[in-house]
Amino acid sequence: MMVRSKSSRVLRSVVAWGTVLLFAFPLYYWLTVAFKDGKEIFNYPPQVWSFSPTVRNFEEIFGISLGFGFGEQREVLPGGGNWRMAPRLWDSIVIAVLSTGIAVSIATLASYALSRMEFAGRHHFVSWVLSTRMMPPVAVAIPVFFIYKELSLLDTYTGVILIHALMNLPLAVLLMKSFFDDIPHEIDESGMIDGASRFLIFRRIILPMVKGGAAATAVLCFIFSWTEFLFVLTLTQTGLKTVPVVSSTFVTSTGTAWGNMAALGAAAMLPAFLFILLVQKHLVRGLTLGSVKQ
Amino acid sequence: MRVGVLSWDRPWIWLLPLTAMLVAFTIMPLLYNIWLSFHEYHTFSRELRWVGGANWAQLVADARMWEALGITLFYFAVTLTVQVILGMAIALLLDDDEIGFGFLRTLLTLTLVVPPAIAGMMFLLIEDPEFGVLTYVLEQLGLLDKTTPILATASTAIWGVMLVDIWQWTPFMVLIFLAGLRSLPPEPYEAAMLDGASAFTVFRRITLPLMQKVIAVAVLIRGIDIFRMFDYVFVMTSGGPGTSTYTLSLYSWQQTFSFIKWGYGATLSLFTLLIILIVANLFIWVAKVRW
Repeated sequence: MMVRSKSSRVLRSVVAWGTVLLFAFPLYYWLTVAFKDGKEIFNYPPQVWSFSPTVRNFEEIFGISLGFGFGEQREVLPGGGNWRMAPRLWDSIVIAVLSTGIAVSIATLASYALSRMEFAGRHHFVSWVLSTRMMPPVAVAIPVFFIYKELSLLDTYTGVILIHALMNLPLAVLLMKSFFDDIPHEIDESGMIDGASRFLIFRRIILPMVKGGAAATAVLCFIFSWTEFLFVLTLTQTGLKTVPVVSSTFVTSTGTAWGNMAALGAAAMLPAFLFILLVQKHLVRGLTLGSVKQ
Repeated sequence: MRVGVLSWDRPWIWLLPLTAMLVAFTIMPLLYNIWLSFHEYHTFSRELRWVGGANWAQLVADARMWEALGITLFYFAVTLTVQVILGMAIALLLDDDEIGFGFLRTLLTLTLVVPPAIAGMMFLLIEDPEFGVLTYVLEQLGLLDKTTPILATASTAIWGVMLVDIWQWTPFMVLIFLAGLRSLPPEPYEAAMLDGASAFTVFRRITLPLMQKVIAVAVLIRGIDIFRMFDYVFVMTSGGPGTSTYTLSLYSWQQTFSFIKWGYGATLSLFTLLIILIVANLFIWVAKVRW
């Protein structure tokens, strides 16, 4: 590339760091709020760098003592909800893990066929899968609410898990298809010449070759389920709630429990942060549903 | 050799679970939604009644629906444009191997895993009129005085919401554009350097045309998500103040679940769906995006 002077390189680095740190700032600030005492959050001008950190917010939402002294225990939120957040994290985990399992299994089977087999209407089938990615969640949530009401699936794990699996299917199918497309067809063909069945080739030869891709797909499905809001808001009442939805109940007309909300948010974002670092290599391919390869 | 329809050598058995899911959760709800759009719930008799095309007639005559559509389109146009331009600028900035740039690229991925509802609340705090960081900064710069709260003033609320979208999803554009930039062939650039072309000419004549497909995919995916946006307005403004931040998604959700207008809410959500399907497929066709 072009030869650049030292000063222009320094300038470029400074601008780059400044820009990215500006994007990171809201996350940093949210983290400080999670560790701030109630009063410090409301200071003006806001305290960005210096404050006295406390783990009280975390102790309160998880109902545990981290050994730094334990203040009086609050039982209910300003809005009347429960402070105890561990069950809500559990709900989030169950829903994200099981819906991911379903979505990735179904998608792996289907995308193998879409990648390997010639049949009439294959292109239309792919378009159909893609067009389900375009449906606004609200246009699915409204009818599904009434269907679930008839089937007594409202407020159940099954109901939310199925709808999250569905939501992730277009992504999972198109992404897995792009990983299968990377593997040369000759591998399948040589297996068939040896007399192995399609399914055997798929299980013994091809599947092990897309393990990395399947893992990346699973991570993205997990994250999208973990962060989903509208379906959980609409299809659950009191039985279960995921973290994003329960967080919104911290905002009430009598005040917002910012410290606790930030603590819960920080705790919930940590696993997603770690997961996304694992799939850096396939991230762009995942975000573009398999169409842009890194 | 004859093979049965449900043999592993035929595609159908592989596609069966997927087809079952898609039929159960997209075709069935779609049909139910269409059925619902010709009915309305009567609160007195507590039953759905056939109303013919009344909901669709109401939709066309509903000034608030047109206002919501206008707000959605405005939000869509501004947010998408800013994300594409800013995303490209930052991608060009980071497309280098200076020390630490790998770390910066990783840092940018973090905004993508924040649940949008929580991102909305983060900015609710940051834009708070009493103790928000952004309020403080804008006030110090003389751009805002504390008597005009960003999210509670009709003229500024939508910008307050757009800011979250831009913050959270510009990195999405950056990462995709960076992947595109990094896979460009070096030859055209070498030729341009020999010709002494300016940096801007190189960008316009070489980078942009080569990046066309990548940009189209990013715009398509982001465009769909921006148009159906719900989470931010739901947690930040609930459509207010007044009706200044009502998007189509929020309007249809509220008609259904807050005002018990089941039929009309379904009609609105179908209308939103129709717009997205038509525009997105048109875009796919014009921009020749292929999967």
